[in-house]
Amino acid sequence: MSFGFGMGAGLRALNAAQLGMRTAGNNVANANTPGYSRQRIELGSSMPFGAGGNLQLGTGVDVRGISRLIDEGLERRLQFQLGLVGSAELDEYRYRQIESIFGEPDQGLSTTFQDLFGSLDQLRTDPSDRALRGGLIQAGNSISQQFQLVSQRLGELGDSTFSEVNGLIRTVNQRTKAIADLNGQITSAEANGSQANDLRDTRSQHITEISKLLDTRAIERSSGSVDLLVGGNLVVAGNRSTDMRVGKNSEGNTQVLVGSNKSAAPIREGRIAALLQQETDGLPGFTSRIDDLARNTILEWNRLHSTGMPSSGPFQSLTAAYGAVDGDGDGQAGDELLSQAGFAFPVENGALYVSVTNEATGNMERTRIDIDPNTMSLDDFAAEVSNIENISATVDPTGRLRINADNGYGFDFSPRLDPNPDGGTFGGLNPTIGSQASGPYNLAGQTFPVSFDVTTGNAAAPVVTTVTLDASDFQQTSAATAAELAAAINNDLGSAGSASTVGGRLVLQSNQGGSTSELSIADSGGGTLVSNLSLSTAAATGRDLALNVEVEGSYTGTDNKQFTFVPESDGIIGQGGDLRVRVLDQEGALVTTLNVGREYEPGDQIDLGNGIRVSFGAGEISATDGQVFALDALNDSDTSDILVATGMNAFFLGSTAGDIEVNQSLLDNPDNLAAGLGSATGDAGNLARMVSLRDRNLTDLSSNTIEDFYADIVGDIGFETSAARTTLQAQDQLLAQLENDRASISGVNIDEEMVDMLKYQQSYEAAARFIKVAQEMTSILINLGR
Amino acid sequence: MTIRITQGMMYARALTDMQSGLYRYTQLQQEVASGRRINRPSDDPAAALRILPLRSDLRDLGQLSSNVSLARETLNTSASSLEDASSVMQRVRELTTQAANGTLSGSDRENIGAEVDQLLSQVLGIANSRRGDRYLFGGTANGAPPFSLDTVNGRTRPTYNGNRDSLNIDVAPGVSTALNVPGDSIFMQRDRGATTFSANGGANPTGAKPVSAGDTGVGYAALQVTFGGLTPDAPPTVSVGTGLQSVVGVTNFRFTSSPDTLSIGNGPAQPLPATDREFITADGNVITLSVTGVPTVATGTFTASADLSLDGGATTTNVTDFSNNSIAVNNSEDNSVLYVNTENLNSTGTDDVRYGGTFDVFTTLAELRNLLQNDAGLPDGTVRDLIGDLLPEVDGAHNAVLDGLRELGFRSSSMDVLQNRVEGLRISQTESLSLVQDTDIAASILELQRQDLSYQTALQVSARVLQTSLQGFLR
Repeated sequence: MSFGFGMGAGLRALNAAQLGMRTAGNNVANANTPGYSRQRIELGSSMPFGAGGNLQLGTGVDVRGISRLIDEGLERRLQFQLGLVGSAELDEYRYRQIESIFGEPDQGLSTTFQDLFGSLDQLRTDPSDRALRGGLIQAGNSISQQFQLVSQRLGELGDSTFSEVNGLIRTVNQRTKAIADLNGQITSAEANGSQANDLRDTRSQHITEISKLLDTRAIERSSGSVDLLVGGNLVVAGNRSTDMRVGKNSEGNTQVLVGSNKSAAPIREGRIAALLQQETDGLPGFTSRIDDLARNTILEWNRLHSTGMPSSGPFQSLTAAYGAVDGDGDGQAGDELLSQAGFAFPVENGALYVSVTNEATGNMERTRIDIDPNTMSLDDFAAEVSNIENISATVDPTGRLRINADNGYGFDFSPRLDPNPDGGTFGGLNPTIGSQASGPYNLAGQTFPVSFDVTTGNAAAPVVTTVTLDASDFQQTSAATAAELAAAINNDLGSAGSASTVGGRLVLQSNQGGSTSELSIADSGGGTLVSNLSLSTAAATGRDLALNVEVEGSYTGTDNKQFTFVPESDGIIGQGGDLRVRVLDQEGALVTTLNVGREYEPGDQIDLGNGIRVSFGAGEISATDGQVFALDALNDSDTSDILVATGMNAFFLGSTAGDIEVNQSLLDNPDNLAAGLGSATGDAGNLARMVSLRDRNLTDLSSNTIEDFYADIVGDIGFETSAARTTLQAQDQLLAQLENDRASISGVNIDEEMVDMLKYQQSYEAAARFIKVAQEMTSILINLGR
Repeated sequence: MTIRITQGMMYARALTDMQSGLYRYTQLQQEVASGRRINRPSDDPAAALRILPLRSDLRDLGQLSSNVSLARETLNTSASSLEDASSVMQRVRELTTQAANGTLSGSDRENIGAEVDQLLSQVLGIANSRRGDRYLFGGTANGAPPFSLDTVNGRTRPTYNGNRDSLNIDVAPGVSTALNVPGDSIFMQRDRGATTFSANGGANPTGAKPVSAGDTGVGYAALQVTFGGLTPDAPPTVSVGTGLQSVVGVTNFRFTSSPDTLSIGNGPAQPLPATDREFITADGNVITLSVTGVPTVATGTFTASADLSLDGGATTTNVTDFSNNSIAVNNSEDNSVLYVNTENLNSTGTDDVRYGGTFDVFTTLAELRNLLQNDAGLPDGTVRDLIGDLLPEVDGAHNAVLDGLRELGFRSSSMDVLQNRVEGLRISQTESLSLVQDTDIAASILELQRQDLSYQTALQVSARVLQTSLQGFLR
């Protein structure tokens, strides 16, 4: 036994109790520190010492170390879960924002659409009421504003992605730097084999925070330092960190750049991943659907409005809202092909019907302009318009089309029925000989040049004109069109008469009217040309009284049609026992037969079906002469969309949700609203078409109506938001469970620490006691020698 | 081993519980306060999808309901106008019966004529009646008076400036109605019958006959037949002289020599040569001829052409073919056409043309007034007869008005039915919408109380649990 016996063991016990107490104290102090893992001192009995013989004496306690109570697997799962929660939180937040941007079901586009169609219905009750007209225009205005608001706020939400990601990446960079620093400290602190517990806690707290933002992989080295990888790139390697950056890719989408070569890192989890996902998929989906909705609303609405008639009647002058773009940079905007003229709405292959009205007589002339956007330029189109009598078109230096009518004339594009469709070739004053068949005519059997004689004037003083046709007059002699023939015949006929095309048939007319006037046609020196053209060789006489054909109503069919009216026999309207007029469609198929004989009273309207009523005045008609007139029954008078593309007589301007607005000229003057198809005060024909738009399934809106398409968007937002909320709740619960598990393992229980403190306190007291006893024993020993 | 519980876990648990309790609590509070179960689409996306179309439908029904009212008002206004017109026609009938009575003097009739003139302008006013500044009877051309009366050559002719288009508005889902009846079907309704020729109600002087098909004239007209000269088939020695000419058509002639005479149309022979001498036919018609002598052909026929005119000679139709049974004569005043059978036409003169069944309200009243005022100075009996003839026309015109009234009444009463239907639909749609979007207040308040209770319980329990610590017991 030595003096020193027991003192060392007591000292070690005191030391251990002190450390235990301090650890407990530290645990209590950090009970609420996030990421803190409770610590425990590891005790072990110290090396025993041989007391001689086979005795081994214990030498007390050794503090082996202070360890963190932590489950590494759980920590990793927790980090991963934090990433999921981070992205779920952002999703939920974003969808809630989107939901509030749309403002449904109380103050959103659905209400403004209802307003628009509602004021349409209201205006129909009195189409000339200025206040109601103003109401419809204002409804258009609020729908535009609502579209713009939604588009703008969705845009702002999208634009905020970059700055938001940028801010988040800055905190990530701060944390990676902190991790690198901690790596250094931990490595040097642990070089002697000890555990740098608090430093490690701080470090894993940083990693946890990063996990909320993006997915990273942490690899612990044997040195105790942790390497951090983002998308396969090292952002922390030992005590060095590399900053990440934020950039935009070629599509304008935000991306996180990492590594020395600044390559885009795929971010799959966390808040940043959710932001990027929203930017590429979520928001653009809604933005593009709302743009689609706006675009199709503008397109369909303008298609109808541009072919309607303002309350002031046909236009004197109209200027396009959009100019053609000078794509080839030659300083000429009008020479670009319509397909390449930079219009927001494409010009289609189709036709435009232009009607020119003589204001004094009310007579209307309708011309069809065929438009092929791949071969026609705006200049060509303007030239075609200028070819029509009494109107002219120009393209100004900004590429805008302008159409002007001569004094006393007006023009429009309305599909209304021509009230007086007969141009004088159906019981008119001048003798007429029309073909019995519609073109094209097969003249392949003729030896060109071939001629025939046209006799005009009257029986007493006949005028004979020889008309010669050349093969060059036709594209194909086997299919000579009525228009080609008319042009060739007019060349030779001069002022003696004229040839024209009526319902695809060739019609010749003398220039002299009255009952003495005659017209006859004969092959020069025999031949078959006249019979090839199905023309009668009998002389036709003129009339003292022109037969008056009147048409009323509005065409309700769905296709554009041209009806051709030909007498079935010769006779007087209202007298002939069995006098009938055949109505053929553009294919030559019989539509119906109208009885205009004895049972018919001249001037009575006959219902032709599809909303068309026709009446024949007193007069004589002749089947022998090939009399004919044609009536265009139009549903869409602009199948080419050129009016929409150039913005002529538009209701809405713009082409997306972001730039939709009501044409200023309507806001300035509600009379410019094209409510009717004709100029009658109470004409609500165009409004009726607009109302029917409400129930129309549009192909470009996935065969939905405008309102259904919008309701789908709203429904999807509702579903997405509620799904995001559910996801968030589920992920939160998982996180709570994991945090619970973590707290169960690594959390501080105050009661437990209290008990520990009592334990160490008592152990300290006991050790002190032991030292005192040892000291007393020693002093007894010393005092033995006194 | 039991699960180790830490204070942090307890705090977190308590916090989460209180949070979710509070969330459900506020959610319910909003539902109760707003009365709506769905305040944003995510509250119930499937229901939100149904809300939008339901609301849209409901709004439409509101519009339809006001449209039905508007339609009924407009139709009733039109109907009351027609009722006025009907009483005017009633009065006209009384006056006509009275005037056809033999006891009235010319001046009595003139007084009645003045009243008829008043009634004519009254009925014109009714036909041009308005609701607001829209004319009721003009079709869609309702911005200007649809009817106007013009007097041409002493005849009053109405013109309809409106059209036959309907002012259609929707009054129920899928049902639309016309707010108007085109005025011409009421005030200018014509049911054309036979056209008749007569001379002042007596015999037909010219021999012309109506074809009575394909005519477009209205009311009365006068067909003037004048001598149009000889056609080339006349004997070579004969030329038209200056003087009275009343012969038209194909006439036979007979020359005799020594003594040289000529007789026309089996009339008495007159000595030749002759200058501007009147030859009288057996019918009593006269032709003034100059004849130089007897030609080689002694007997035969020649044709005196006739000029036919309906507008007092402004436009004439020259007839040389007296076998044609349908010659069109144009009246430039109203652009009407009359077809004349010339087979028996033999004399110049004026045929009074009566286009049967074409007497509309205005024409009837105007013709009645003219007869009553008797500017032409016709004999009493003739005037009475003609007025008597107009009686069925007055009835016809009145019937057209009554037909219009019936049509309006029918449409107006169908508006009542539709109004009920629209209102019914509105109620059921409102119910559907309410079912989808509104809070079940009773259930929600109950639930709110339940949540309130559980929230408070959570608070109390947390407060108790969180207080508990070993610390509190170590003294």
